[in-house]
Amino acid sequence: MNQFPFLTLLLFLPLAGAFLLLTMTGREKLARSTALTIAVAETVLACSAWFCQGNSSARGYFLFEDRPWIETLGIRYTVGMDGITLLLVTLTALVTVIAMLVSWRSITERVALHFLLILAMESGIMGVFLSLDLFLFYLFWELMLIPMFFLISIWGHDRNIYSAVKFFLYTLVGSLLMLLAIIGVYLIHGEQSGIYSFGLAALTGTRFSPATGLLLYGAFLLAFAVKFPLVPLHTWLPDAHTDAPTAGSVILAGLLLKTGAYGLIRFGYPLFPEAARTLSPLLIGLAVAGIIYASWIAFAQKDMKRLVAYSSIGHMGFVALGIAVWTPVALSGALLQMVNHGLTTTALFALVGMLDERAHTRQIEDYGGLWGKIPLFSAFFVLFAMASAGLPGLNNFVGEFLILTGSFKSAHLATALAFIGVILPLVYTVRLVQEVIFQEERRPLPMADISSRELFILAFLALADLYIGLHPAPLLEILKAPVALLTGGVP
Amino acid sequence: MTTADLWIALPLILLAVGALLTLLIGAVTRDDTAATAIGVAVTLGAACWLLQTPPLPVAPSLGLSAAGLPRLFSCFFLLLAAGVLCLSSGYNRARGIGGEEYPATVLFATFGMLALASATTLLTLFLGLEAMSFGFYILVAVDLKRATSGETGLKYLLPGALSTAFLAFGIALIYCVSGTLAIHEAVQLTLTSGRPDPIALAGWGCLLAGIAFKLSLAPAHLWTPDVYQGAPAPVVAFLSGGSKGAAILLLLLLLPHAVDASHLRIPLWGVALLSMLVGNLAALLQNRVRRLLAYSSIAQMGYVAVALVSGKGGGYQAAAFYALAYGVISLAAFGAIAVLERQGCGETLDDYRGLGQSKPFASGVLTLALFSLAGIPPTVGFTGKFLIFTSAIRSGEIALAVIGVLLAAISVYYYLKVVITLYSKHTGTADASHPTYPEYSVLILASTAMVLLGLWPDALISLLSHLLP
Repeated sequence: MNQFPFLTLLLFLPLAGAFLLLTMTGREKLARSTALTIAVAETVLACSAWFCQGNSSARGYFLFEDRPWIETLGIRYTVGMDGITLLLVTLTALVTVIAMLVSWRSITERVALHFLLILAMESGIMGVFLSLDLFLFYLFWELMLIPMFFLISIWGHDRNIYSAVKFFLYTLVGSLLMLLAIIGVYLIHGEQSGIYSFGLAALTGTRFSPATGLLLYGAFLLAFAVKFPLVPLHTWLPDAHTDAPTAGSVILAGLLLKTGAYGLIRFGYPLFPEAARTLSPLLIGLAVAGIIYASWIAFAQKDMKRLVAYSSIGHMGFVALGIAVWTPVALSGALLQMVNHGLTTTALFALVGMLDERAHTRQIEDYGGLWGKIPLFSAFFVLFAMASAGLPGLNNFVGEFLILTGSFKSAHLATALAFIGVILPLVYTVRLVQEVIFQEERRPLPMADISSRELFILAFLALADLYIGLHPAPLLEILKAPVALLTGGVP
Repeated sequence: MTTADLWIALPLILLAVGALLTLLIGAVTRDDTAATAIGVAVTLGAACWLLQTPPLPVAPSLGLSAAGLPRLFSCFFLLLAAGVLCLSSGYNRARGIGGEEYPATVLFATFGMLALASATTLLTLFLGLEAMSFGFYILVAVDLKRATSGETGLKYLLPGALSTAFLAFGIALIYCVSGTLAIHEAVQLTLTSGRPDPIALAGWGCLLAGIAFKLSLAPAHLWTPDVYQGAPAPVVAFLSGGSKGAAILLLLLLLPHAVDASHLRIPLWGVALLSMLVGNLAALLQNRVRRLLAYSSIAQMGYVAVALVSGKGGGYQAAAFYALAYGVISLAAFGAIAVLERQGCGETLDDYRGLGQSKPFASGVLTLALFSLAGIPPTVGFTGKFLIFTSAIRSGEIALAVIGVLLAAISVYYYLKVVITLYSKHTGTADASHPTYPEYSVLILASTAMVLLGLWPDALISLLSHLLP
């Protein structure tokens, strides 16, 4: 398996597919089915990586590729896969397929371009998760912005252009400062060791003076915090989500938000252990503030997509908390929660998208009485709403539980406050379900129950939610080794 | 004159002969296709010649150098000129810019660039720069049917003449102190360690001021928006890529010889900061695409100045890389604009609305160029900025790097504004006009170069690291 460039294939198959789709402008059906075929093939590839786990070689990466790239600058093409990456890569592949399926009918203009962008984005996100060279990582980090920018600005609704630009600028300011920090780390390491390299393995263990370390880590943290998003850097997210097409929201919430957390885990903490420890109270504070604030704001939302967007911020706050305390249990919980949030939020955005497709409104007050009219849809709606609210037996509960258990020891107050964040979502979700599903019908809206395509999406996500909720042990098992490796240095 | 001289001077001779030939052709036929063909053949031929000759440091009696850096840039200027000529033929026909004098002038300007590149004395340097500028004075005003053409020409000529005066005076002062015109010694003697001669410093100040005009660095940038807006699009591509590339090359031929270039740090620092500020902030307010790109170019030159400030910490290499990168990007951006304008597109942002659908090819190239200018990977613009910021941090210019990065983030807004307009909802009717084959080939080559140099810059970087300190 080591000889075959498996990861490269995984990384560039979607991009190759995107180029293939360039030739299919105007042929909608062909473009759609080709894109789906490639996305499914990518999923099969990602899933086959599960069988390669045995040969744990370099630093816990069971799949690893390393080739020279820009040698004059010490930049190498280094990609690797460990348990963390495996989970996220699988999630990426699955969510991409779902994103394609949810936009199967709703996109009628420039179909080939739409699916092309989704594929290009998949490559970008895969790259972020797989890169072990800071330059390569940064390349993909920026690369994934461009397709999303176009997805929002071309197929979005309402104030799509405003939202697309806001999204782009917010993330870019953060990442450009990170670029400077990356260069800084590269130069400092080069001066210390005489070897100029962007490789994560080489750069880990570079010594920084406290002030420099804080400054550099601060730049990294800023870039990741925007992606998370942590309050107060979150304001791009509700706009971007609301105005994005369904596929855009699904990818944004399901995958893009995870890249910030992933970056912090893979690069932020290992590169700057001391600075990260110094700033962890700040991160904990922001996380808890985000959990409570976002849930509070979610109460006031009238637009379902905005509500789900704010709930996302809250859930990602838990992930941030889990990372900030940096204990094995909390970190496993955070990683699991990233997957959970990916699945549940994807489902919720898909559900809202389906409603929007039928009735062309996302306002909560327009709906009501769906239980009687479209029972199957409503059942799924209730299920995913409950999963999002953290009902035991469903996936989010497991993640939140682990995070809170893991963080209580080192951060009593923060954990206690975060508990409020467990209760609040329950309240606004129940209100949402009550108003949309169970209340009397307020306006006669054209409603048809879900089609087989939609049933497939929802049933699949529901099964995944249930599986993780009831039996998370296999996933936790996969995370065990890399998490132990990461937290080894921190008591 | 020995054979070695001839070998080195051959590209120059080819260009001069080619230019005269195109002029003579005009006596036979008024169709400028033949003239353009000769121009392209001559430039490509000269480029091929340069590529196959081994690098020779100096031609014994002519005082022309064929070292690595001049050769690299000469090739670049020649290819750029060929690209511009290819783009021009269709554009000029649509605009009614006629005659064989156009390709001939392009060749003369290229001649100037090559002479500058291969200069070993300050005098040749100046003459080359002047020959090039002369060509551009004509080219920017070549569109005689446009009412604003004369204004454009004058706006370029007057500051240009002033900058020439500065340059000449600066060279005179440097000569006065060092007593030699040979670049190497003159620079070494005037930019020494310790306290430099005030007259020499005044000379360098004048020289920098003159170059600042050519590079449209703030505060000498005022001509840029008008010229970018008024001149024919292929000429702007040539001006933006070639003339600025030549001005950067001029500095790269001089500054690395300095024993201690720190005396020039403060003026360069200020100019870099001011250019980035003025360019990026003023571009935010533009609603004409060419003016926007003009201000963007001021900002981009500010980044080059950042690299020059960083100097020997990899800064000269970064500046050279960025000069080449910016040339390719300019060719792509203004090439795409030339194609769009030839097909009847106006100059305001509104005229670009929905072109992404009706003219996907040219819009795609323009988008790629804009992303490249914005420094988004995996384009050459990103690699260039990366090198510049690396050199800045390495030389301790952290404030400049941070300001530059933040302004780069702001700049993304106006580039995106154009991209969004291109891909917003289409209102007009789709028309069936396609780019011509020369246009296709130039734009495809430029786009490929933008991406390839972004992804695999290794060869170019290592080449530059051999050529520059």
